[in-house]
Amino acid sequence: MRLLVERFPDIARDLWTDEDTVEVQLPRDAVVETLRTLRDEPEFGFYMLADAAAVDYGIGHHFEVVYHLYSDRHPAWLRVRVPVDRANPRTPSVTSLWTGAMFHEREMYDMMGIVFEGNRDLRRIYMSPDYRSFPQRKDFLLPDDAADSSAAGVNPLERPETWDLTTFSRELTSSAATYPPPDTQVDVPAEAYPHGQESADKSRPA
Amino acid sequence: MTAVDPETRIPDPIDLDRAEEARLRAAAGLAPPSPPAGSEYAGFELVGVPDRPLQTEREREMYTLEEGEMLLNMGPQHPSTHGVLRLVVKIRGEMVTDLDPVFGYLHRGIEKLCENATYTTVLTYVDPMDYLASMHNEHAPAIAFEKLFGIQAPRRAEYIRALVVELNRVFSHGLMIGFLALDMGGLTPILYAFINRDDVVELLAAISGQRMLFNFFRVGGVNWDVNDEFLSRLGTWHGTVMKSIGDNEKLITENEMYGVTGPNLRASGVPFDVRKAHPYSIYDELEFDVITQQSGDVYARYLQRIDEIKQSLHLIDQIMDKMPHGPVQAQVPGIIRPKPGRAYGAVESPRGLYSVYAISDGGPTPYRFRMRDPSFISLQVMPLLMPGHLIADTMAIMASLDPVMGGVDK
Repeated sequence: MRLLVERFPDIARDLWTDEDTVEVQLPRDAVVETLRTLRDEPEFGFYMLADAAAVDYGIGHHFEVVYHLYSDRHPAWLRVRVPVDRANPRTPSVTSLWTGAMFHEREMYDMMGIVFEGNRDLRRIYMSPDYRSFPQRKDFLLPDDAADSSAAGVNPLERPETWDLTTFSRELTSSAATYPPPDTQVDVPAEAYPHGQESADKSRPA
Repeated sequence: MTAVDPETRIPDPIDLDRAEEARLRAAAGLAPPSPPAGSEYAGFELVGVPDRPLQTEREREMYTLEEGEMLLNMGPQHPSTHGVLRLVVKIRGEMVTDLDPVFGYLHRGIEKLCENATYTTVLTYVDPMDYLASMHNEHAPAIAFEKLFGIQAPRRAEYIRALVVELNRVFSHGLMIGFLALDMGGLTPILYAFINRDDVVELLAAISGQRMLFNFFRVGGVNWDVNDEFLSRLGTWHGTVMKSIGDNEKLITENEMYGVTGPNLRASGVPFDVRKAHPYSIYDELEFDVITQQSGDVYARYLQRIDEIKQSLHLIDQIMDKMPHGPVQAQVPGIIRPKPGRAYGAVESPRGLYSVYAISDGGPTPYRFRMRDPSFISLQVMPLLMPGHLIADTMAIMASLDPVMGGVDK
């Protein structure tokens, strides 16, 4: 932890620690360079990416990409938190540092819709390729919520044009004007979908 | 990818001149049409190519065929894919040149489910993830939640946890060896593996009440103390298990690896074991070796499992020797509302680093519950391992990685 403060006085803000974890927050522009230093410098030696997870802090807040690193030279896990803008969820990919980050990033893209710039295989991994929602976002409706909403009675599995469940709550959200985020679907041109966003809107009960 | 007029509809190919179809498909950015019905390769060339624009650089690389190459689809309902894993294999003759694993057929959204369940219920939801290592699945969230709540499980509970977790590892590794032999063409070892597994699950059923999804861990302890039936079964089992391992070795007795953890990593010579690297529970009080193999091939991964079973038995001996008396469950309120915070818990599951990252916002359910499943991450080395091997080797190599689809798809 002392090393971290010495080496990164200006970017490592909000240091925090508990019994076996040291936590730092990084701006997304500095992620790749800082992680490269942490991985390659012998005094750090965080050569293993243990986990990479995305967190949604809800509408009006931000996403966060969280990396857990392991080093055999330090007794603690290192947790690196990277805030990502919710309206424009883009962050650099770390697949250039760890090839094994590929599936982590694909999962985060699939579940949260975070676009990792520089990832050469950023496609859906769990959901089908034409699925349009991001199920782990906090504004994604669960069946329980749907029962109380204007979308009651719609079985999303039988109606592919309603698969964008994230926007069912559009009227409830303050970020409605910015959804869908510009360029979120960089790799999936809208022309790929025979039933576009407009037809999905029309098919919903008012 | 060229843009296309949304009004453009691709007519049924039967009604359409083939040249016209090719032109339209090119305009829509789709793959070229299959060869005509009379052609020598009719129906073969485009099997597996997605009928939609290819999205990424890697996907275009995978699904662009060169002269003499074809795609072969394995699964998701292939008997040797260990569940609903689909592998698209690009082959040249009998030789695999590239491979694309496709997941999601078993995706249940357990992370989302857990974010809508109370902390005590989460331990039930994670059981069926990696269904051959349910005890490990419960261990990591139990560790993370105890950090969140700031409570400590009693020492006897920690010993019982280590005991059941090692028992779980023994039968999981035993099954892997059986399945590996099965995929390589030997039917007998899997039968013995299941006989041996049955002894262990009966043992665990004696202590937890369930044979497969144990639901044994609690936040702050374990559900039950060891009982007489468990102890007597453990004694019987322990007397025979070394012999059955020897039998298996007698009955049964090359490739390379990223992001891989667990026995697969150690079989390539890297001594990373969470039990040593970040000792949790009582592992810092026990003696065991981190076994490694040097060659990193299928045989090394098999030997690795055998050696780890022996280490687990060694650990079980020590745990039974050292187990203290005392309670097995800390005092925990029925509905727990931890202070806002974050916690990370990692354990060494039979397949590698299994970790949980939990965020509390002060409510009765976790705000975010993230699980890193080792089989999921290990599977991404398949495209790196396979090129240059034969189609028949695919199954052996995959079985040696020991993926469990319940965990891969979460």
